Amino acid sequence: MIFVEDKGEKSNSDFIKNVKEMLGGETITSCYQCGTCASSCPVAKTTERFNPRHLLRIALLGEGDEILSGDAIWLCSSCYNCQERCPQKVEIAEVIFALRNMAIRSGKIPQIYIDFANGLMNEGRVVPVSKFVEKKRPDYGLPPLKPAGVEPLRKILAATGFDKLISKKG
Amino acid sequence: MASYALFLGCTIPARQPQYEISARKALAKLGIELIDLENMTCCAPPPVKSIDLETGLAISAYNICLAEEADLDILTLCVGCFESLAMANTLLKENPQLRKRVNQILSNVGKEFKGTREVKHYLSVLLNDVGIEKIRQNLVKPLSKLKVAAFSGCHLLRPSELLRFDDPERPRIFDTLIEALGAKSIPYKNKLRCCGGLLRGYADDVALAITRDKIVNAYNAGADCISTLCPFCFLTLDLGQMLIKTTYKEEYNLPIIHYAELLSLSLGVEPKELALDFHKVKLDKVLEKIS
Amino acid sequence: MEEARIGVFLADSGGQLSKILDFESITEFLRGIHGVTRVQRASEFWRGDGLKKIIDAVKSGEINRVVVAEGIPKIGEIAIAKSISSAGLDLNFVEVLDLKGHCAWPHRDSPREATEKAKAMLLAAIEKVRLSQPIEKAVFPAVKSVLVIGGGVAGMQAAEDLADMGFQVYLIEKEPFLGGLAARAVRFFPTDDCAVCIQSPTSDLKTVTHTSRKCIYRSGISEIPNLQILTNSRVIKLEGEPGNFKVTIEKKPRYVNDKCVACGLCASVCPVEVPDEYNAKLARRKAIYMNMPIVYPPLYVIDGSVCKFHECAKCVAVCPTKAIDLNQKAETITLNVGSIIVATGFKEFDPSVIKEYHYGEYPDIITHLELARMIDSFGPTGGRIIRPSDKKEAKRIVFIQCVGSRDRRWNPYCSGICCMISLKHATLIKEAHPDADITICYIDIRTTGREHEYYYEKAREMGIKFVKGRPTEILHDPATNTLVVDVEDEILKRFLELEADLVVLAAAMVPNDGSEELAKILGIELDKDGFFKEYNSKLRPTETKMRGILICGGATFPKDVPTASLHAHSAAVKAAKFLNEGKIVKDLRVAYVNEDYCGDCECCPVTCPYGAISLVPSGNGHFVARVSPLKCEGCGICVGTCPVGAIELNHLNSKQISAQIKALLSVNETSKPKVLAIYCSECGGTALDSAGMTMSYPANVRTLKVPCTGVIRAQHIIEAFKAGAQGVMIVGCKPEGCHYEAGSQMAKKKVELTKALLAAYGIEPDRLEMFNLVYIEGDKFAEAARMMSERIEKLGQLVIA
Repeated sequence: MIFVEDKGEKSNSDFIKNVKEMLGGETITSCYQCGTCASSCPVAKTTERFNPRHLLRIALLGEGDEILSGDAIWLCSSCYNCQERCPQKVEIAEVIFALRNMAIRSGKIPQIYIDFANGLMNEGRVVPVSKFVEKKRPDYGLPPLKPAGVEPLRKILAATGFDKLISKKG
Repeated sequence: MASYALFLGCTIPARQPQYEISARKALAKLGIELIDLENMTCCAPPPVKSIDLETGLAISAYNICLAEEADLDILTLCVGCFESLAMANTLLKENPQLRKRVNQILSNVGKEFKGTREVKHYLSVLLNDVGIEKIRQNLVKPLSKLKVAAFSGCHLLRPSELLRFDDPERPRIFDTLIEALGAKSIPYKNKLRCCGGLLRGYADDVALAITRDKIVNAYNAGADCISTLCPFCFLTLDLGQMLIKTTYKEEYNLPIIHYAELLSLSLGVEPKELALDFHKVKLDKVLEKIS
Repeated sequence: MEEARIGVFLADSGGQLSKILDFESITEFLRGIHGVTRVQRASEFWRGDGLKKIIDAVKSGEINRVVVAEGIPKIGEIAIAKSISSAGLDLNFVEVLDLKGHCAWPHRDSPREATEKAKAMLLAAIEKVRLSQPIEKAVFPAVKSVLVIGGGVAGMQAAEDLADMGFQVYLIEKEPFLGGLAARAVRFFPTDDCAVCIQSPTSDLKTVTHTSRKCIYRSGISEIPNLQILTNSRVIKLEGEPGNFKVTIEKKPRYVNDKCVACGLCASVCPVEVPDEYNAKLARRKAIYMNMPIVYPPLYVIDGSVCKFHECAKCVAVCPTKAIDLNQKAETITLNVGSIIVATGFKEFDPSVIKEYHYGEYPDIITHLELARMIDSFGPTGGRIIRPSDKKEAKRIVFIQCVGSRDRRWNPYCSGICCMISLKHATLIKEAHPDADITICYIDIRTTGREHEYYYEKAREMGIKFVKGRPTEILHDPATNTLVVDVEDEILKRFLELEADLVVLAAAMVPNDGSEELAKILGIELDKDGFFKEYNSKLRPTETKMRGILICGGATFPKDVPTASLHAHSAAVKAAKFLNEGKIVKDLRVAYVNEDYCGDCECCPVTCPYGAISLVPSGNGHFVARVSPLKCEGCGICVGTCPVGAIELNHLNSKQISAQIKALLSVNETSKPKVLAIYCSECGGTALDSAGMTMSYPANVRTLKVPCTGVIRAQHIIEAFKAGAQGVMIVGCKPEGCHYEAGSQMAKKKVELTKALLAAYGIEPDRLEMFNLVYIEGDKFAEAARMMSERIEKLGQLVIA
């Protein structure tokens, strides 16, 4: 394959190999650009910033930098409509998760995800419980909220290296 | 009496006690026992999977292990939780290599995924354990004047290969359960389409445009309310209308109401017991039609 | 049997071999072997003087076994075989080996070891022929008649070819009329001629002019004297052997005989109406009906499943020629045929399972077959393209390609013809209605055949629009009763909502109904997509694993008419070749079962790639295996399967294998550790042949030929180690390319099993290895041989107590 720019060190075919080795990214090369995903996508119909077929096209050409540092991968709403209808059974929503995983490993992470991760690591929930709401539970006849298993969760996060992924970013 | 381990997730205890209240009350009335287990965590929804899929899978598996140890199936309220947990459950049951990988991580917390239990959404418990007949028999205030735009949310149905809940293109379960309450589940444009909720926080403008489409379509079809199963969808559509007002200068006043709330109301629970003031779009019109 | 008197003939290839091999030493060695009565040397023995010497020795009775070490063994073998056969010696008493390519040349750097190996190879050949038994020739009948199943394009062409050649042909068709799927297609691409046009027979039919093709109804196909057409018929049982099959046919009653003049009065009074399958249910027909336009036979037929028979009988009353007989019964017919050709075609996939396309829900979404019926002016709409919902003319038409094709959820393959069908329909409609607004939504446009690309050009020139994009959903606007196709134009990167009066789905082409049942009855296989499986679609097209049963046309995979026709002619030629002599003469180089040893484990029938083994009652409540010598190909896979050694090959029995193994490993003057390479007579052997031409490999690799590596049992490998082999190599065909279909895969499993067995006995499993090689990989064989030699040297001496 010939590309206009010479990206230097890593070859483009390395990028595809890396995607396929990620959990969730295995099926990316089955894509034959039929476009079913694009017209199934609620986001693509609303904004030009995201189009799953287009995203996969760029990825399949091996343009890793463009994908991982770009804005598009964060615009998937994980509705799974594309994956449901794909005639080649490409797990598109999972591939996008895998690409996001790769982006974060390469240092690019939107602030909101840092917030989610912190919530998880500190309180065992991505959306921390509001103390105000928790106090009102008995008023509604609700049993006390059982505390989240923060300790076991932290151990799991340490085992997978999740904590290290985020700690660099603060 | 069927017993389930209740999985609450994050958003419901955080901001939507009304969902929990109505669910507990309705299920109790219908003979379903809900057990609160210790040490449950977040289910590992897309925000977690976006950071690391393996971690997400491990966290989901961990929560399933708690239920396996208690010898109970899991019942979820939030469809996002349903998807995370049910997907993980099926994947790990059917893929030995993945299971081995996750169990290696879980060994750090002394747990092992065995694949002995099921993850269910409360709709299937209502359909199969309780049954339409029993629901009908228990109705105190049938919702016969109500036109409901049913919106189950994406994660109840898709990916259907793993969730196996209902036909992803022609789902009937949610509509059947709405109609069991006497209400009418009306067709409306793009009924199965996403609400855009997961884009909030990253691309609010795009999220809002998608949300607005949903509100407009339901509104144009003559709905009295949109019935939801997902707390995230709820927030997006309910709070979203406030944002639509400021951004688009449009007011729809379309109440968003969880199925569990409709169920509770039709089973005779008083509105004042259901913390309905957590709704941004007030439910007065709906409550009128019910009484 | 008389004692063996073995003659050994060593060809020197013009003195070249004696430069490497010590022929004196070899000759002395041979003279010392019991039973060897003559050792002779010359430049060549496969022709001329050399061959004469062998023939004379045989004729004089001096020798009754022949071992020839020849320089060009493959060609030489054939020449020697022909001559010896005419001299009266059974060919199983002759063994030809290649001392040049399998010994002298690849080992020219180590002449001493090469000589030693040559001795071993000759000794092995001698021991083999010593133990040989004579092999009979059997003559099987080949009835010169053929059954063709399926009266579509392919079936009719094949039937005509064979009838023209003088064979008795039975053409059966399960529907009441000939023509098949193609007849409903109206026109064929790329020429747009009629779909009912077929080749006309060349038989002498005096009332028909001899042009190359004709419409079915006047082609004369029905008038060929030795072609019998049976409609409303299907196969229910198959017995007998290839060349002499007994087929049971069930013929449903037509209830109308040949007095029918096709006036249609019966249909006009018939009170029963049902959806018309022929017209894709776009219309209704009566219980008594005929398809239009008329094909063959030109007779009405009654659909027995809906007719009220004697409760009504209105048709009987009005028929002017008394052609209706409601008392007709089903017939069972038995046919004796030599060969069978399956030409049962394919059908359209039902897209209602692809729920997002709403087929069956919204009436204005149709498939190609329904559109074809509309285009047909004899069809249910009189040639008008209309919307089924309101019968109005359809002006805006959208085609969607790959519906159910190239789709891993339904049919992963490309159906091959749908792009051309869409182009055909689009251009036919546009030609008749220039103001029609036609768009084709595609993933790829595949126009690969002759003149197909011009067809695509024509479509574009006519103003037919193309959108590259696969629609995700078809929506319906109830207010305007319009369909909306939701698709992304990928090239423009724009989302389109195409409004349509009519949406046509190019549905996939799938195996026809009844394929599974028919395959089971005939004992042939279906491939993973459900089509009838060709034995090897590249090198042996139209053949199946069952001798004498051929398949052609759309039944093997969706095809267009020219290709189906070609395929049909090919099948006809194969059938003719098979039956031409009126008999099948076969050398019984086949397997046979020693029924006393057979333990009824029932494994061998499953592993035989040719379905040659059946189970017969043994009389005490059990079954024993029995090999059909006609169907058997002599590969020996069954021998390798049998756990008790109850099956043997006539041409290579287990004693012969053991004797050869011992012989090959015995001559060991240089005391170098030996590797035994067991290779198949097909690809494995060719790798050795080509390695022998220009490569070098160690001479301590001794080689043993078997028909197929599938014959190898763990026992043989253990024997080899016991006889002194330090390593064993198995060399066979590639797993997907085994010339006996399944042998090298079985060998692989055997090797894995044996490795585990060796490990259990403390023998390094690495001493055993399998290699899959082809002719052009001679270098890989040489490398493998070197690698194994080095390996066993590193592993050290193996001692088996």
